[in-house]
Amino acid sequence: MSMLENFKYKIWIPSLLVGGFITACSLEIEETDSIFTKGESSVFNGVENVAGSLNTIYNNISGQAGDQANLYALTEVSTDELVVPTRGTDWGDNGVWRTVHAHTWGPTHPFLLTVWNDKNNGVLRATEVIDPLSSASALQIAEAKFARAYNMWIIMDFFGVAPFRDPKDGPEVIPTVMTRSEAYNMIVQDLTDAIANLPASNPTAANKTRPVKAAARFLLAKVKINAAVYNGTYGANDLQDVINLVDAIEAEGYSLESDYFGVFRGPSFTNTDVIWNVAAGVGNRMWNGLHYNQSHTGNGGGGWNGFTTLAEFYDKFEGPPTSNSIGSGQEERRGYTHTLATTNADNQGFGYGFQVGQMYGYRDGAAVALTDRVGNPLVFTKELPGLVGNNERTGIRLLKYSPANGAFTEGVVMARFADAYLMRAEAKLRLGNNAGALSDVNALRSMRSNTPPLASINEATMLDERARELYTEGWRRNDMIRFGAFKNAWQFKTAGDGHTDLFPIPASALLSNPNLIQNPGY
Amino acid sequence: MSKLYLLIRNSLAVLLMLGCLTSFAQQRVSGKITASDDGSPIPGVNIQEKGTSNGTASDANGNYSISVSANATLVFSFVGYAAQEIVVGGNSAINVVLQSDVTALSEIVVIGYGSVAVKDATGAVTAVTTKDFNGGLISSAEQLIQGKVAGVQMVSTSGQPGAGVQFRIRGTNSIRSNNNPLFVVDGVPLAGGVQPGAANVGFGTNQDTNPLNFINPSDIESMSILKDASATAIYGSRGANGVVLITTKSGKGARKGSLDFASSVSIASVRKRYDLLNPTEFLAAVRLFDGDAEAQDFGSRTDWQDYIYRTSVSNTQNISYSKGIKDGFLRASLGYDNQVGVIENSFMKRLTGRLNGSKSFLNDKLNLELSSTYSNVKREDPAISGSAGFQGDLQGAAYSANPTWSTDPDFNTGGQRSPANMLAYYQSTGTTNRFLNNLTTTYKLNNDLSVKGTYGLDWSKGEAVTLASGKSVNAGNGVQGFGQGQINENRNINHLVELYLNYNKQVGNIKIDAVGGYSFQSFKNEWNWVVGRGFTDPNSFSSMESELRSNFDAADAAASAIYKDYNNWGVTNDLRNTGTGNPTSGGFVSGINLGEKSLEQSFFARPAGVTLAGVAANFYDQTDFLQSYFARGNFTISDKYLFTATVRVDGSSKFGENNRYGVFPSAAVAWKIHEEGFVPQSVSNLKLRLNYGVVGNQDGLAYGEFIRRERYGDAGVGDNREITLPGTSATGNVNPDLKWEQTTTYGAGVDFGFFNDKLTGTFDVYVKNTTDLLLRILPAAPSPVVGLQFENLDAIVENKGWELGLSYSAIEKSDASLVFSGNVSQNKNLLKDFGGALDAGTIYGQGLSGAFAQQLSGGHPLFSYYLREFEGFDSNGQPIGDNQRFIGKTALPTWNMGFSINASYRSFDLAMYMTGQFGHYVYNNTQNAFFTAGSINNARNVTRDVILSGESGFAEAAVSTRFLQSGNFMRMQNLQVGYNVKLNDMKYLKKLRFYVTGQNVFVITKYNGLDPEVSSSPAGFDLLNGLPTAGIDYAAYPRPRIFTIGLAANF
Repeated sequence: MSMLENFKYKIWIPSLLVGGFITACSLEIEETDSIFTKGESSVFNGVENVAGSLNTIYNNISGQAGDQANLYALTEVSTDELVVPTRGTDWGDNGVWRTVHAHTWGPTHPFLLTVWNDKNNGVLRATEVIDPLSSASALQIAEAKFARAYNMWIIMDFFGVAPFRDPKDGPEVIPTVMTRSEAYNMIVQDLTDAIANLPASNPTAANKTRPVKAAARFLLAKVKINAAVYNGTYGANDLQDVINLVDAIEAEGYSLESDYFGVFRGPSFTNTDVIWNVAAGVGNRMWNGLHYNQSHTGNGGGGWNGFTTLAEFYDKFEGPPTSNSIGSGQEERRGYTHTLATTNADNQGFGYGFQVGQMYGYRDGAAVALTDRVGNPLVFTKELPGLVGNNERTGIRLLKYSPANGAFTEGVVMARFADAYLMRAEAKLRLGNNAGALSDVNALRSMRSNTPPLASINEATMLDERARELYTEGWRRNDMIRFGAFKNAWQFKTAGDGHTDLFPIPASALLSNPNLIQNPGY
Repeated sequence: MSKLYLLIRNSLAVLLMLGCLTSFAQQRVSGKITASDDGSPIPGVNIQEKGTSNGTASDANGNYSISVSANATLVFSFVGYAAQEIVVGGNSAINVVLQSDVTALSEIVVIGYGSVAVKDATGAVTAVTTKDFNGGLISSAEQLIQGKVAGVQMVSTSGQPGAGVQFRIRGTNSIRSNNNPLFVVDGVPLAGGVQPGAANVGFGTNQDTNPLNFINPSDIESMSILKDASATAIYGSRGANGVVLITTKSGKGARKGSLDFASSVSIASVRKRYDLLNPTEFLAAVRLFDGDAEAQDFGSRTDWQDYIYRTSVSNTQNISYSKGIKDGFLRASLGYDNQVGVIENSFMKRLTGRLNGSKSFLNDKLNLELSSTYSNVKREDPAISGSAGFQGDLQGAAYSANPTWSTDPDFNTGGQRSPANMLAYYQSTGTTNRFLNNLTTTYKLNNDLSVKGTYGLDWSKGEAVTLASGKSVNAGNGVQGFGQGQINENRNINHLVELYLNYNKQVGNIKIDAVGGYSFQSFKNEWNWVVGRGFTDPNSFSSMESELRSNFDAADAAASAIYKDYNNWGVTNDLRNTGTGNPTSGGFVSGINLGEKSLEQSFFARPAGVTLAGVAANFYDQTDFLQSYFARGNFTISDKYLFTATVRVDGSSKFGENNRYGVFPSAAVAWKIHEEGFVPQSVSNLKLRLNYGVVGNQDGLAYGEFIRRERYGDAGVGDNREITLPGTSATGNVNPDLKWEQTTTYGAGVDFGFFNDKLTGTFDVYVKNTTDLLLRILPAAPSPVVGLQFENLDAIVENKGWELGLSYSAIEKSDASLVFSGNVSQNKNLLKDFGGALDAGTIYGQGLSGAFAQQLSGGHPLFSYYLREFEGFDSNGQPIGDNQRFIGKTALPTWNMGFSINASYRSFDLAMYMTGQFGHYVYNNTQNAFFTAGSINNARNVTRDVILSGESGFAEAAVSTRFLQSGNFMRMQNLQVGYNVKLNDMKYLKKLRFYVTGQNVFVITKYNGLDPEVSSSPAGFDLLNGLPTAGIDYAAYPRPRIFTIGLAANF
């Protein structure tokens, strides 16, 4: 082999080998288990599957409603209706529950950040569906607008502002921030559009997890009854609009139901009271308060011994002051606790409403009086020593949904005709029609056994009536602010200057969005 | 693509041509090579013409023949023998007798795409070889070298067989999870392949598995730790956390045929237990805290720690056969370990087979090397979780269990978890099969230049089956009476193709050793999980498992009849959120039509084979690519001055289009001062090294994080066995600028040896700055991204430190030796220029939801504690101090130490090794969660010290410095005594050795938990702000004390 041949041979073989690889491989990942955004824009070209995206939006609303912390805690534990006392080491949880009840929360409170992110995300997902690039149907757009209005309303109601992002903006674009009034107008517009295109209502439908016209009307009434909070004063037609909206709901066949606790028995709510529900399980709502030893054949671990109500709240109801045993003459909405005699395999000792006094369970075929973990009789007391230093037995537990219907049943009621009905009465009251308001309220009370009619009505009694009818349904904070009562003192909370009517904007949100300004007082 | 990469591409071609242009006058030399000890021929001896790549190897009879240039020097080298250099000087026959040399093994260190003599290394590289490996019960490879290398901190996350490891080389660079180095086994960089974690079926998750489980430790020849950037730059974007190169035994050195057999039996027990109250004390304590002791006395007398812990017996068997064949070597091995955990229901059984071989063809021009292993690892894990909530995991339940409870699994404990119930009615098993194969072809183009091609295949399939029986009480919601089960499956196929050139040339007094080439690696990762509830027989594990599997098959068949590709499917009697007009029971499948680029769902009737009340499965399938060009040149001038320059260009499919390719350069110089005339004779080695380099880290970044993708959300089965129809959602984020983190290192070191290397050592200082930190952060809401999104943060993690390793040979006699060696290193970590403050270090336990102990903030080291300052109890027994802040303490040790003694006298040998860490603090989450007055106040058992602490039974146990303690410790990790049987010329048996090893013999520490060297970590998705934790001890699986007796025989 000559030098030249040798040279050629030695050069070409490896050059071919090396060259072959060097130019070859692409680093583009392939679509295998997901679809990459398609079309002109690198950012957003419409959602791939509108129905799927709507499912996610409503699944998220459901999941967030089923959670005992975050949204629910901020709307209920922040009021005179619920408290999560620290019991020894239990429920200390870095102080998250105590600060919510005492209104000493700060911008780093984790519940605030969760709600901020969850609900803002819900707004954006809905906006993506509404965007013309997604080519959604009129019904799908109406469902998205309802969801956007609901999510944005919570942001605006909690924080006093609402960020907004165009889906076509890249992630480097910082969301703009709408004022409360701007957000109010957008919510009203979305709901008005939704009412036009949502399906007509069927008050006895088995499936109420997607909004119908009545649900949008309900939410619009809710927003308008609060218009004075959001805009400083009621607009000329706001209160009349509330009355008209509730009239329209009633005209579709919704009505008050007489079996108070039966209204909340899921998973299908065929009663004419429930307008909108989500599928979320109610396990958290029941077990968060019940004691560890209040077990169930479907939940041997029992409850988590956290949430309780307060003596002052219990005293708002008719009935004997220290016992709520079944058949003690208390008003229906206060519910009842079982006795040894009434505890059976069916109810397993779980009653409804306010659980106070000795608790019973069903063990090995027999009713037994329960004890706490160290062996003391499990007697729930009305009074609590404070936010800390509690034993396992202090505080009355609340059961709007009851394990008597199963350890883990589903269906959280989001909107009830009874609420709409009381909003209409309230609008009448605010318009000076005291007689109309009183008549409406007494009509409701007459449906509830052992509940005598009121002699007169004013703002304070209207607020109390809403508390008795709607406790633990997520409205108490909203109601107390509207009636100017949220800054008042109550058990374990001192009177404030009203700045807590708005929550602080979460610290990390302020960091990531310079368009936000912290609310006064924080 | 960057211009630099094009430049390198061109340079490679030039390099290639240069190598081909050389030619010299040739002469032929031949001869026979024999061993000094028995005079037998040695096959496979490497014969190299000095200063060139011209070389050959001896054949099966020890004969060789080679053409060399006229004035050549031949170097004869063979593993286990001292190399010899012989000047040819016109001789045509040269016979050589090689002297065996045990120290020779450590003279060569593998550095990635090549190896280098230790004395010529320019970077901070440490090799640990077989003779220095730790003995005893070794469950994964890194335990072989634990404590042996300065600047390397290794913490196995628990004492569970096969537990994961936190492996830190020169500190912690990154603020997100996984700071482990890149592991490269026989040239194949590892990715994935680990066993999926146990699913949460109501008892929390357990993700704790070790990436090196699949390797049989006794197959390992050496492990090289590349510590500085000049050494790791050859691995570019994956080199920032250091690189660990694992080389398996090749069979070299076995000339005739050598059969090795090793067997050992180990006995393990828990080294320390908590000092819990006995039944009498417990009842008295209940009374003291105003409880009803009579009501709490259930009549039994149970020591729950006794109940869950055990003394376990494990065994290891290894057999291997090595043989030199014509023009090559062969080694085959078979290993079996059965490691039984000290907690009931835990074991790891590992079966491995390995075949390594090499063979030369075409007159030694062509060489083929194969390294191939197959492993089957089976595990069982008890209900141990780093994120157990208020009820605790198995250990937490055992600590707090009432000691008068019966051990009947069905005993009614009220609301507490019973350890007996958890052991009887929870089962988590897993199997991982893995095949790792590497085939390398080397072709010598001429004396100076050779080309190597490598094909690596890493295939694995791992599965974890987690079952909670219907009899488990206080598990997750909806488990009792119905059962819950989940099977997680991971499948990985990674391909590696590499082609590179080696160029060796001596030009005058300059020696050039260069390598340059191309690498392409693909990583295919498929995983799925199936979850089921409502079993036909929820009380039988075997029935549950087979029902889950057969249901999966039946439902999957129905789903695949509708769509070719799908994200998930589910079958239930209670199907929710399906929309008007759609079924509310039966099956659904979420299809993904890749052709049409659309997502769509369909419904189907419950298939006949689906018997579970609810079953759902989710599927993922993702492939990433890494394409690289690399080059390294070593230049030695006059054997005194050494220069190394390395560059790697990595292109990764994980990054956005603007930063797809990155360039990682490094340079190092070394000066062998002892070669200079002015250095006194007593200095046998003195080398100064300086290095600089930039390396990257892309770990933690998943597939397609930089683009918007849509798929269906995951389907699960709810508490009531219902399934909510999943919707679609976006994942990933449009971020074309996303890139790797970058670590820039400056280092200097000195290697020294005195008195003919009686005293040797190495000292290094370094500064490392990591920038463009990858972190998942919360974008401004509303954001296109759900939850957190990856961004490159504008902050710096700085690690500064030094490390010193010393070895002193006190006695070196033919029948006695004594060597002391030790290492110490200091590292200081600091996060700089970070504007935010992110909470981290989740604390778990009763009343501790949302509690955290650490915060990530600028001006503080990573894993800095952020706690209330505990100032005792007030007169009401409530803790004083309620303001969380930085307290100037961190979980990262400042000091790492290792100390060894190796001695031999006649037939006996002794090896002892101690390790220690200092300057850090450990948060005793176990104590926080279980051992406070509030626990005994609720009739939960506690340790003895709780009773008289002055704490009220109604006090809150908030996270505070009360539970923080110094983590300083010194551990007697390994103590081994061996006896080599004198074999008086036995015909077949060549070596026989017996040994006894103690591991974790004692620990000197003030830490009051079970072990200060521990890090419980919740699963990734449970991490607060996505940040990793360190130094938190939450009922971690205890590290056992192990005694092993074993024998090793060679035939």
